[in-house]
Amino acid sequence: MSVLFLLWLVSLGIAIAALLVMTGLIVARLLGGRRSAREGSQRRQLIPMLLGGQSQDDGQPAPKRLIADVSVELIQMVRGEDRDAFVENATRMGVPDQLRKRLDSGSARERVVAAEALAQFPDTASHDRLLAALDDRNPDVRLAAAMALAVAGRAPGVRVLIDRLSLGISENSLIMISLFGELARQRPLEIRELVLDDDVVDGVKAAAIEALSASGDYSLVPLVNRLALEAAQDSDALPRYLRALGEFAHPAGAEAVRANLASPTWWVRAVAAQSAGQIGIADTAGRLVGLLSDHHWWVRFRAAEALTKLGDAGHAHLREQAEYGEQRAREAAKLVLAERGMTA
Amino acid sequence: MIDWQPWAVQSASIIALVVIVTGLIQTGFYVVQLVYAGIALGRRPPIAHASILWRRYGEQAPPIAVLAPAFNEEVTIVESVRSLLALHYPDFEVIVINDGSRDGTLARLIEYFGLAPVDRYHDMSVKHQAIRGLYSSPRIPRLLVIDKENGGKSDALNAGINVARAPLFCSIDADSLLESDALLRAVRPFVEEPKLTIAAGGTIRIANGSDIEAGRVLQVKLPRNFVALVQIVEYLRAFLMARLALGQMQALTVISGAFGLFRRDRAMEVGGYSHGTVGEDMELVIKLHRHMRDQKQPYRVEFIPEPVCWTEAPDDLTILGRQRARWQRGALETFFRHKDMLFNPRYGRIGFVGFGHILVVDVLGPIIEVLGYLLVPLLWALGLLAVDYLLAFIAVTFTLGIFVSVATLILEEIQLRRFPKARDLVTLTAVAVLENFGYRQLSNLWRIRGWWQFLRKQQGWGAMTRRGFQTS
Repeated sequence: MSVLFLLWLVSLGIAIAALLVMTGLIVARLLGGRRSAREGSQRRQLIPMLLGGQSQDDGQPAPKRLIADVSVELIQMVRGEDRDAFVENATRMGVPDQLRKRLDSGSARERVVAAEALAQFPDTASHDRLLAALDDRNPDVRLAAAMALAVAGRAPGVRVLIDRLSLGISENSLIMISLFGELARQRPLEIRELVLDDDVVDGVKAAAIEALSASGDYSLVPLVNRLALEAAQDSDALPRYLRALGEFAHPAGAEAVRANLASPTWWVRAVAAQSAGQIGIADTAGRLVGLLSDHHWWVRFRAAEALTKLGDAGHAHLREQAEYGEQRAREAAKLVLAERGMTA
Repeated sequence: MIDWQPWAVQSASIIALVVIVTGLIQTGFYVVQLVYAGIALGRRPPIAHASILWRRYGEQAPPIAVLAPAFNEEVTIVESVRSLLALHYPDFEVIVINDGSRDGTLARLIEYFGLAPVDRYHDMSVKHQAIRGLYSSPRIPRLLVIDKENGGKSDALNAGINVARAPLFCSIDADSLLESDALLRAVRPFVEEPKLTIAAGGTIRIANGSDIEAGRVLQVKLPRNFVALVQIVEYLRAFLMARLALGQMQALTVISGAFGLFRRDRAMEVGGYSHGTVGEDMELVIKLHRHMRDQKQPYRVEFIPEPVCWTEAPDDLTILGRQRARWQRGALETFFRHKDMLFNPRYGRIGFVGFGHILVVDVLGPIIEVLGYLLVPLLWALGLLAVDYLLAFIAVTFTLGIFVSVATLILEEIQLRRFPKARDLVTLTAVAVLENFGYRQLSNLWRIRGWWQFLRKQQGWGAMTRRGFQTS
């Protein structure tokens, strides 16, 4: 038999095999369609039952999987006492057991969903299972388990999370900021310690600072100010430190902001200008006017925006630039004033 | 029976072997893509409800500017914009770019949304035709309309990039129907790998036949028209198999113009969309790859397997033929503009896998396959080729074609199950078989036409008549 003839036979074989598999899937879909219809009807019966806080006691029992899915959906839709009642009812119907089993599934998707849902159940077994999921082979499951534990107020120490999730090393998701935010609401000192520790990697430190900047803990401002002064001009953390200083809007962050208005890196100058406006550093007005002629649009825009936040003096500078400034400065000043409904 | 000279038989065998080997390489590419697509689908995060996505990503989701270019869209523009404004996303702005429409597109927008001229300080780094005015309304702070001189889709998008202030922009077609949670889904790679991700594409599906209301696909249904049906199978192959796999390999070279999410600063660094090409979407992605590789910076261009956008497919062979010729021309323009990237170690997997794929599938594929249709049966009929050559040719063009299409359907059914009825699967399986007999050959002829237009340096899009979505 020639190779060419073999090619023909192989192609025929795999085409027929594909068609057979597809036929099998169509048959499975037909059978599954009946199951879906049955589940749809069971779902319709389940909802009022769960809303009424009853257990299933008559008719054909709904699959545990369906009970778990519907319960979790309902729990996520309500708050307060209603939620507590749903959780209690779902626990009685074995939903946490079902979710814990799903955390052993071979599918990472299943495990993520189960980890997120288990956050709703305060029992010890669920807590322990979520703790174990911090060592899951899939990073999405690990992060989901960490978030679930944090939301439920049962997360282990932040150092443990950093270590087990490889935060700042292989895991750089922005969800890290949300995770630290959750932890900061419950245990702010732990997140604060991360900022103070020189051995913590920049990515983690910046995320911790961003999580804390909304907390209004002004005692951190001098530290962030120092970090911003020490950071390399091309580091990813520097704009994040400066942004956090702007969020704090505290004058103790002014030194780093002032210094970075002259940064050789345009995105650092842009964030510094923005933060100067947020903090309201009046003595930067002259330098902000200079930045209105910067070669980069974002710097010009942020400088003009900052001047609008510096009160009458800032407005006066903008009006002057709109009238007499160099072309780029004139355009920036004129249009930013117009955008804010101020006449040039 | 003619007694042919050995050189004639040998030449015929060589011709047939070139056709067969090229077909085999193409099929080999597809099989590898099927494996990678299967892996990518297995690894994708759960398809969550919008509320769960919001909870998961909402807090950290970066602002997005949705750029919607419009040219003579007077009839549908209000409905399209209303649908865009109803997207579920924490922080987004819809920027409609009226690209010098000659009808009442701008007037309709101004009248319906109560817009008034506004000033906005914006960047000018990316080149485009002059902006005539900006319009917005304090009642609808998410909407901004740019009125500009006509310059084509890429020019309109460039104006949108300049005016946008969000770190990410989403480029769409005027007739794209977005899933309400499309932005939440597509933003995932930007949240998970914020430093690395520079662009993300999403799966585009065909809306013909589906129930549509207020700019949303309510129920997925199959069209009755065969031309539209066959494109459903084609889109599955293109998105669910090829693009998903190339994304998984980090060798994606196209993000569809119907839906693409990009980092604005990176797009500006490469000068935005290019003018003078009909493949501006592919051109932008290639420019981004080249730029990042030249700068030796790590980056990722991702692909989202879940459907994020629906589009109207042509249901008429003439219009479809024009579209396919144009797509072919666009691919060739980009390939030859950047031909130095092909098999160039400097460009890594983009040079080898991405450009290798374009070379085999888009550049050489149609020519060699059409030559095969003409020559292999003829040479066999003349007695210059043994029947084994003919069978092997049929294997690479027909039976392996059926295998690849059906295998993509299997992937779809196992992983996504977006077609609600078993009857739909039967229809699509039949189409996956039938398309190889007639449609595939016609499609190759259209691509040859695209080659011809490319060689003649023909410009322009040709007429694209849209019927508009049939609302339920």
